[in-house]
This record gives sequence, C-alpha cells and structure tokens, in this order.
Amino acid sequence: MELANTLSQDGESRGGVLAHLERLETQVSRSRKKMEEPQSAQAEESALGTRIHELRRLRDKLRAEVKQHQASVKASTTNVEPDQTLEITEQESLKRKRENVKAILQAYRFTGISGKLTSRGVCVCISTAFEGNLLDSYFVDLVMRKPLQIHHHSIPVFIPLEEISAKYLQTNIQHFLFTLCEYLNAYSGRKYQADRLQSDFEAFLAGPLQRNSLCNLLSFTYKAEPEGQFFPFCARLLYKDLTTTLPTDVTVTYQGTDALSTTQEEQRAAHEDLFFTKPLHQVFTSFARKGDKLDMSLVS
Amino acid sequence: MRSETAGDVVRAKEMDETVSEFFRRTILKIPLTEMMTILKTWNFLSENQLQTVNFRQRKESLVQDLVLLCEENRASLNDAALLDIIYTQFHRHQKVWDVFQMSKGPGEDTDLFDMEQFKSSFKKILKRALKNVTVSFRDAEENAVWIRIAWGTQYGKPNQYKPAYVVYYSQTPYAFTSSSQLKSNLPLLGQALTIASKHHQIVKMDLRSRYLDSLKAIVFKQYNQTFETHNSTTPLQERSLGLDINMDSRIIHENKTEKERVQRVTQEIFGDYPQPRLEFAQYKLETKFKSDLNGGILAEREEPLRCLVKFSSPHLLEALKSLAPAGIADAPLSPLLTCIPNKGMNYFKIRDK
Repeated sequence: MELANTLSQDGESRGGVLAHLERLETQVSRSRKKMEEPQSAQAEESALGTRIHELRRLRDKLRAEVKQHQASVKASTTNVEPDQTLEITEQESLKRKRENVKAILQAYRFTGISGKLTSRGVCVCISTAFEGNLLDSYFVDLVMRKPLQIHHHSIPVFIPLEEISAKYLQTNIQHFLFTLCEYLNAYSGRKYQADRLQSDFEAFLAGPLQRNSLCNLLSFTYKAEPEGQFFPFCARLLYKDLTTTLPTDVTVTYQGTDALSTTQEEQRAAHEDLFFTKPLHQVFTSFARKGDKLDMSLVS
Repeated sequence: MRSETAGDVVRAKEMDETVSEFFRRTILKIPLTEMMTILKTWNFLSENQLQTVNFRQRKESLVQDLVLLCEENRASLNDAALLDIIYTQFHRHQKVWDVFQMSKGPGEDTDLFDMEQFKSSFKKILKRALKNVTVSFRDAEENAVWIRIAWGTQYGKPNQYKPAYVVYYSQTPYAFTSSSQLKSNLPLLGQALTIASKHHQIVKMDLRSRYLDSLKAIVFKQYNQTFETHNSTTPLQERSLGLDINMDSRIIHENKTEKERVQRVTQEIFGDYPQPRLEFAQYKLETKFKSDLNGGILAEREEPLRCLVKFSSPHLLEALKSLAPAGIADAPLSPLLTCIPNKGMNYFKIRDK
C-alpha cells in the first residue's frame, strides 16, 4: 500500500517500483552484513581466544615437564661419583658384548656342527637340515680321556655309530664327526621326504607308505593325478647309500590288469626317472600341479 | 536287507564257535572305561554299529551284543587276534618282557629292511616248522611291529589263550618278547626272528622287566637325554634329591661337606634324568667265603657258597639313587648296582675269578 502511495505522491521516484525494490533489497543485505560482521568477528575472536588459552596451557605443561626432567637428571648425577658413571657404562658395554658372544655361540648350531665345553670334555651338537629346513638335532657327549670315549648320546640306534666310532673316533675325530654328520643329515633328509609324502600327499597313495627305521626302503602304490579312483603304479625306492637322500634303486611297476599302453609305459619310465633325480615330495608336488600332463622338462 | 540292530539274532551264526568264544573272552577282559577307546582303535566295528550298542548295560550283556556285531561282520580269527594285540598294547605292564639281542656277521651290506618281507618270512618259518600256529601282526609307531603268536602242537590247534608277543623295531638288533609259558617254542621263535630280520645269531639278554618302554630306553640308550648346549636358557641345576640343606637357618648341618660330596657323587653316577623303571635286580653268587679274620669254618671251605640276592622295588633305580643321600648306604654305591642301565642287565651271576 505504501508502495503505491509513494509512487502516486512522487511520480518522479527514480526507477519506479522495481528499482525501489532493488534499493530496499540492497539496504537489507547491507544492514544484514553489518550485523553479521561483528558476529563473525566475534566468533573469530572467541575462537582465537580459546586457541590462545590452549596453547598457553600446553606451554605451561611442557615447561613443567622440562623442569621436572632437569631436576631428576641433576638429582641422579649429583648422587653418583663421576668414575662410577663411567663404570656403569663400561659394565653395560661388557654386558652387551657378552650377550653378543652368547648369541653367536647359540647361532653356531646353524652351521651344522657346534659344541659346548663340559666338565669332562665336550658336548657336540649335530643339527640336521634338508632343503633349507632345520630338522632334528643330535648330540654326542665326549669324555676327553685317552682313549676318547662317548659318555652318552642321542644318536638313533639304527645309525651305525659303533662302526663309525670304531673306524675314526680314536684316530681322526674330525672325520668321525663329519661322517656322523653325513649319516645323520642323510637320514633326516630321507625321513623328511617320507613324512612329507605321508602327510601332504595322502590322497595320491593307496594305503599307507611302507617304510623302515632308516627310511632307506620306501614302497607305495600311487596315482599321478589328484582325481580318479585307480592307483595304477607301484613304486619301490631303495637307498643303498646311507649318506644320500636320493634313491640308488627305483622300480615303478604298473598295477593294472589290462595290458600296458604306450602312454602308460612312457609315464612309468618317466616316473622312474623322476624318483631318481628329485626328492620324493617334490615329485608328488609336480604331480599335483601338472594334473594329468606330466612335465617332461622336470626330468633333467 | 538286514538291519544292524544289536538284538538281531535271527541270522545263523557264521562264525566258528571257538572264534566266537575267543571274541567273548577277549572283549570281556577289556575294562568298561577303556571299551570305547579300544574298540575305536580296533576300527573293525563301524561308528553306526557302535552307536546301536548300549554301553551302560551290564558287562555280560554288553559283551554279548558286541560279539553278535562281530558275527554280523563275519569277523575272523585274525580280527580277534588283532583285538588281543591292541588289548595287550594298552596293558603291556601285565606281561613280563625279556630282551633278545641279535648280531650280524662282519661286513654286511646295508640293511634294506622290508617290513612286508619280514612279516611273510617270519610267518613262513613258523608255519613250516609248526603247522598249527596263529601269527598276527600290528604295525606300531613308525618303525615297529607287534607280533602275536598262538602256539599249537602237531596234532592240536593253537591255544589262543596263552599267546607269545614279540615287539621288534626295524633295523635294530633288539627284540622284546613276553615270557611265554610254553618255553619249548622259544628256540623256534628266536630262529624265525633272526632269519626274517637277516641276522645271524640271537642271544637272550639278562634283562627282564614289566616296563617295556624302560627296557627300550635301556637298550636303545635313550634314558640319558640331557645335553649341555649354549641354547639352553636355564643352567643345569643339580637336583636336591630330597635334601634341602639351606632350608632352615636354625639348623646347622655338621657334616655339610660330606652331604654335598654324597650328592655330587650320586649325581655323577645317576645323572639328572629320570631313571628307567625296573622292578628288581637279581644276583646269583657263587663265590668262596672271604673274611678278614683268620680261621673260622667258612673260611676253610673249599666249595664256593651259593646264594641269591634279590633287590625288589616299585622303581628300583630311583630307589638305589636315593640310598646314599638318605644315609642308608655309602656313596659311591657298588658298581654291581650302578652298572644296571649301562650294561643292560638286571640278572647277574657272580663267580670267583
């Protein structure tokens, strides 16, 4: 209503209604801004204010901590004589050196043969390994006397310890230990292969793996593919050399009642070669991976 | 379609009466607390079949039900023998075990022991000599076999209730046998073992005990298994052997040095390890009387005196070990007592040299 009056009274109002509206709009926004500015300024102010308080608090806290630390350092250094502090650090360094040497002595067993002096002689530890896997350790406790005697040991009874000691113990102890090491490592390696076959490739075997104490005669019926119910082959591995982990004799026979086809004969011959050249569990790993196609490139 | 309920008696018995009776008596031996474990180890009756049986009924009825199930499964004498082996394995202490040692000729080739060959060879040798014999095998651990032998005679069937047992670890010279009442068959048993395991000679050791595992530990030299290494985190501590000298400060030990000496000597001889378990040591003496005093009737006697000294204990070696620390004997003990595990003997014959 007012608007209309204004217009009717003053016909010379600039721009007319719309222009007037525009002017009113700008007035409102300006006044609003003016109201907001102190508000935002205030908000900014209060924010900065709280930040200042926080920083002051943090500064005071850190100052107090520094003071405390300085005080404690002063206290500890004032109580101790200057050469005692030197002793402590010397003690510490000696302790560290001793720990270091101990660790090296402990790590020696990874070399395969290690020992520790005992009250009556030396206790030798033979640590066996196969394909980078650390296996069982065996001990021989020697009494330093003339003649050299074995006090007690943990060598399995089927390893020919008496034979080896009769040959070398008195004359060449190095040879004695190395020979024993050879036998034990080979035994551990064969045992490892047999254990792996039994546990990891049970599905490939018909019935249990036939083995003996030395793991130097292994006999099993198997198939080369993960699927199928027929176990076509029978393998017999002999390890006549007790210092090796690969067989000296391999016989693979075909089990089927039907005549042996050429592909089966090829397979059979290829398997024999594989068993000769690769560790037992690796042969079966290749069976598992290749499925029915036998990778002839594995045969070196 | 035949149902598998235990009470189904309609089918005619297909099993021999003697075998049936053998089953009944074998199952009857098994204590109720072990019944399930042993049957599961035997693995002859299926899970379903075992579920149909009421294990809380009176033992006689339970045994009857189980025998019926065995008959349903057409169990053979060999199955019964296998069950008997398993029972004996669980109750090995009920038998007294002897130890035999075999030897090979010098310069033999590598022993390529084939378990199947051993078993068939062993059985063949016995059957060739004695037509009426039951031989059963059960593999144990990785490299051992338990053999059960029921002896018969030329005209009589094997007696299943007095079997002999042999435990043999491949590629070792030792065999453990349960003392059989039928001693006359021992040479044949020895022969079969020797030939089948490709040895030349067999000798009975002077070692006997109920504790098969201790005998094994003694002959395989597995009883002393503590070794000094850099890797052990705890230092070797001397066990106090029941004596704690520093227990009470109000007690002063006058003979402390002697006590410590006794402890040290005992530890040197017996070691820190648990002793293998034996029940007795027997010494047969055939010696002339020795006396410091001159004269006396016994001193003049030309013939040696014969007597038997027997030491018995639930755990002989531990008892001997505690003698000196307890003040009952002087340390060191007589080597006749302390050599028992080292020599692998607990039967001694002592004669004048």
